[in-house]
Amino acid sequence: MNEITVKFTLNGEEVSISAPPYFTLLRLLRERLGLTGAKPGCERGECGACTVLLDGEPVTSCLVLVPQVEGRRVDTIEGLSDGDHLHPLQQAFIDESAVQCGYCIPGMIISAKSLLDNNDSPTRDEIKRAISGNICRCTGYVKIIRAVEVAAERMREDEI
Amino acid sequence: MKYKYVEKRIPRIDARDKVTGKTLYSTDRYPEGMLRARVLRSALPHAKIIKLDVSKARELAGVEAVLTHEDVPGHNGFGIVTPNWPVLCVDRVKYRGDAIALVAAVDEETAEEALSLIEVEYEPLPIIDSPEESLSPDAPLIHEDGNILHTMDIPPKGDVEKGLAESEIVLEQTYKTQFMEHAYIETEGGVGVYNEDDGVVTIWCGSQYAFRDQLQIARSLDWEPEKIRVIGSPTGGAFGGKDEISVQIHLAMLAIYTKKPVRLHWSREESIVAGPKRHAMTASFRIGAGHDGVFRAIDVKVVANGGAYDTISGPVLNLALESSPGPYKYADSRFKGITAYTNNAMGGEFRGFGAPQVVFGVEQELDKLARKLQMDPIELRLLNAVEEGDISAIGHRLNTSAGIKETLVAAAATSLWKDRDEIKHKLSGENRYREYGIGVASEWHAVGMGVGIPDFSNIIIEIGEGGAITLRTGAIEMGQGNLTAYAQMLAEVLECDISAIDVIHGDTTACPDSGSVTASRSILVNGNAIIDGVSILKPILIKIASEKLGIPEDELEYGDGRVFSRNDSGIALTLADIADQAISSSRSLKVTGHAVIAISDKDFGDGLPHNYYTYITQIALVGVDTGTGEVEVIKVISIPEMGRAINIDGVEGQCEGSVVMGQGYTLYENIIVEKGEFKTTSFSTYILPTALDVPEHETIIVEKPEKTGPFGAKGVGEAPTVPIIPAIANAIYDAVGIRLEKLPITPEYVMEKLREG
Ligand code: FES
Ligand code: FES
Repeated sequence: MNEITVKFTLNGEEVSISAPPYFTLLRLLRERLGLTGAKPGCERGECGACTVLLDGEPVTSCLVLVPQVEGRRVDTIEGLSDGDHLHPLQQAFIDESAVQCGYCIPGMIISAKSLLDNNDSPTRDEIKRAISGNICRCTGYVKIIRAVEVAAERMREDEI
Repeated sequence: MKYKYVEKRIPRIDARDKVTGKTLYSTDRYPEGMLRARVLRSALPHAKIIKLDVSKARELAGVEAVLTHEDVPGHNGFGIVTPNWPVLCVDRVKYRGDAIALVAAVDEETAEEALSLIEVEYEPLPIIDSPEESLSPDAPLIHEDGNILHTMDIPPKGDVEKGLAESEIVLEQTYKTQFMEHAYIETEGGVGVYNEDDGVVTIWCGSQYAFRDQLQIARSLDWEPEKIRVIGSPTGGAFGGKDEISVQIHLAMLAIYTKKPVRLHWSREESIVAGPKRHAMTASFRIGAGHDGVFRAIDVKVVANGGAYDTISGPVLNLALESSPGPYKYADSRFKGITAYTNNAMGGEFRGFGAPQVVFGVEQELDKLARKLQMDPIELRLLNAVEEGDISAIGHRLNTSAGIKETLVAAAATSLWKDRDEIKHKLSGENRYREYGIGVASEWHAVGMGVGIPDFSNIIIEIGEGGAITLRTGAIEMGQGNLTAYAQMLAEVLECDISAIDVIHGDTTACPDSGSVTASRSILVNGNAIIDGVSILKPILIKIASEKLGIPEDELEYGDGRVFSRNDSGIALTLADIADQAISSSRSLKVTGHAVIAISDKDFGDGLPHNYYTYITQIALVGVDTGTGEVEVIKVISIPEMGRAINIDGVEGQCEGSVVMGQGYTLYENIIVEKGEFKTTSFSTYILPTALDVPEHETIIVEKPEKTGPFGAKGVGEAPTVPIIPAIANAIYDAVGIRLEKLPITPEYVMEKLREG
C-alpha cells in the first residue's frame, strides 16, 4: 500500500509520519500516533467526538484527510494541559461534575477552548452554539455549559 | 446523622483521566500486530440462506480469517433470557442486523474488501413488520415455536369490569411509541487477545456485566469460563444497550482462530441496525374514577414489538405492566401484555425498561381526569398516591420507602407550579406566535432485578502497604458515576480519606462478580456489599492491632481510620500500621463483602414485582410555535425520591441527562423501520438533542431514607427519563389544547393535531 509522509505541528511538536493518503486525521492520530483522546463516534462529521484544532479552528478530524494537515498545526486534548497543570476548562469540567461516561468530553473541551480563545466572556447562548456540534448522550449538557462558564470566569480572573 | 462523604458533592474519581484524554476505553486499544475485524450482516430482513460461499474472501491477500456458523464450537446463540440470537446465522436471517460471517484482516480496507467477496444467496421470506401482523392467525412463523415472544397477565386485583362499570368517570385511550436508539457515543466495540501460553482469551469490550458476557462467550465457545477474561469497563455510555452481547463472542472466535489481537468496532450505522432498541409498544388504558377524584379501576393492555430474537424482552414487558398504574392506589386492576417477534429492529434493554412507553400514556390520562374534575393535577395525584405499607395497584405490599407524596408536595411548592399562570402569561406577552404550557407527571420506577432473578453483589476490600485501600467490584463504570459513589460509601464506613481508595472495576479476573449494572440497582446492592465488607474487616483490624499493641481486643475500638485504645485514645494504630503488621506476619487484609437485594412477598414470575422503587415527579414548561408546530422545552424541574443521595452532583447529573434523553424520545428521536429496512441510520436522520435544545433544569432532591439501603439509598439511574415524557405532552396540551397519542411529537404531528382542532 502506498503511504505518504506528512509533516505538521502536533501539540507544539514537529512530527513527520506516514500513512495511507485516504486516512483521516482521526485515524492518523489514533492508529499511527497513539493519541486516542479524539474519539470516533460516527466518522461522518455528525457527533463531534473527534474534534481537534487545526490551525486553532475546531474541526471534526474524521473529515480531514492526511494530506490536508501538511505544514499545519494540530492541537488535541492530550496537548491541553501543561504537565500536571490542567487547562482551566479541564479543571472546571472536573469541579462542576460535567463528565459522565467521558467519551464526548475531549471533543467538547476542544470546541469550548476554541470559543474561549476567541471570546473571553461568552454568553450562555454563545456557549451552547459553540458546543452544538458535540453530542453528549449522558449529561444533558447542563453541567457542561456551567463548566465552560466557570472556566471563562476563572480565565478572566487570571488575566487581571 | 452528618456524613463526611455521603450526601455531598464529590468530584468524580475518574474525571481527571477523562478530561485529559487519558482514559482508555475498550475501543482505544491498538495492540501491536492487531487485525481488523468486520461482520457480514444480512442484506435482507427475512430470508433463507440458500448458499454461503466464503472461498474468494479467504483467498484475498491479507485476510487471516473468514468464519461462519461452522466455526461456532458451542451453542450458536446468545441472549440474556433465551439465547436464540445467533452468533452467526446458519440457514435463515430474521432482521437486517443478523450476522452471517466474520472477517479478520491486516487492515480495515482489506477486511472491507473481503466482506464484498463473500457470496450469499437468499430466498426472500415474507417480512413481518409489526406485532399485529406477527400475531395474525395466518402469519408466517419467525420462530418454529411461534411468533409470541412473551406474554404476561398479572393476576387481577378485584374485579376490573365491575370497577369500571361502577366508576362515575371512565377514560379510555390507546398510545403508540416508537423504537429508540441508545446512541451512546462509543459504539459497540473492543479488542480480543488470545494468549497461547496460558490459553486465556481476553476481551476488552463496552459492557454492563462482564461476568455474564464471560458466560455467554463460554457457552458459544464451549470453553471453561475461567479461560475467558472479560474487561468491560469503562465504557463510553451504555443505557441498557450494552448489557447484551455485541462484539464479545465474535472477538473471542477471531482471536482464538488467528492467535493474533483482533479489533472490532461497529460503525454508527451497524450500531443502529444490529444493536437493541427501546421496544416500540402500543399501550391501551381504561381508567375508572369517582367524581371525588378517587381512582377505582385500571385496565391495561400492552403489545410490544420484540424484533427477531428474545434478548430480554420478557422482563421489559413485565416492567412496562408493573410501571403502568403508577404510584397510585386502585381497588381493581388488570394488566395484560404480549410481545411478538417481527423482522424489524431488535427490541431490548434501555434505560427506563418498558416504563417510558406506558407512563407516556397513563400520565396523560390522569391529566385529562384532573381537567374533567377541574382539580389541580398535583392534588389529584396526591389524593391517590401510595405510601409505604400500602397495597399497590398490582397487589403487592410496598415494604420500602415510598416518597411520591413528598415529591408531589415539593412540586406544588415550586414557583414554576404556583405561579404558572403568570409565567405563561408573561411569556405569551413576549411572543405572539407561541403558546406556553406547564405540565406535570409522576412515576415509580423499580430498583433491582425483581422476584426470582439473582440479585446479589460481591465486592472485595483490601488494605495494602502504606494503608492503600483497594475496592474491587465487577460493576461497570458506564458514565453514571458509580465508582465515585462506591468510594464515598467505603470512605464513609471505613472513616478514611477518599483519596486513599483505588477502585478496580469490571474485570472478571481482577474483580468479584457484583451482578449487572442495570435496573438502577448498583448503588443499593454494591453499597450494602461495601458496608458488609467493612463490618467483616473491622474486627480483623482490631485483632491485628491488639497483637501489635498488646492490648486486649475488647479494649480497642475502630474509629477515624484507626484502631485506638478505649482507655487512652492516644494509643492508636493507623490503617498503614495495621497493614504493615499484617504483611510482616504474612496475612492479608482482604475481605469479601456480600449483599442480596430483598424481594417482594408476591411472585408473578419473570422478575415481577419489585421491592424497591424510585419515586419521581417532574414539571415541564414548554413553548409551542403555532405556525410551525415546533415545541421548545424551556424549563424542567425533576423531583426524585431515591432514599438518600450519595453524591448530589451525581443525582443531578442523572436527572439532567435523563431529562434530555426523555426530551429527545418525546420530540425528535425515531428509528424508522419500514418492511424491515432501516431509514434512520445516522445522526443526520436520527435526531438527538444538542446543547441548543436543552431546557433550564433544576433538581429538587427529596430524601426518604430506606432502612435496608446503604445510608438509606435506593437508586436513581432511570426514573428521571420517564415522567418528563408525559410532562412535556401535558404541557403541550396546556399550551394549545391538543392530546398526543403517539411519539415522537414532531412539528408535523403537532400541526396535524392543531388543524384537527
Ligand atoms: S467521529 Fe467525527 S464527527 Fe463523529
Ligand atoms: S459524557 Fe457520555 S457522551 Fe458525554
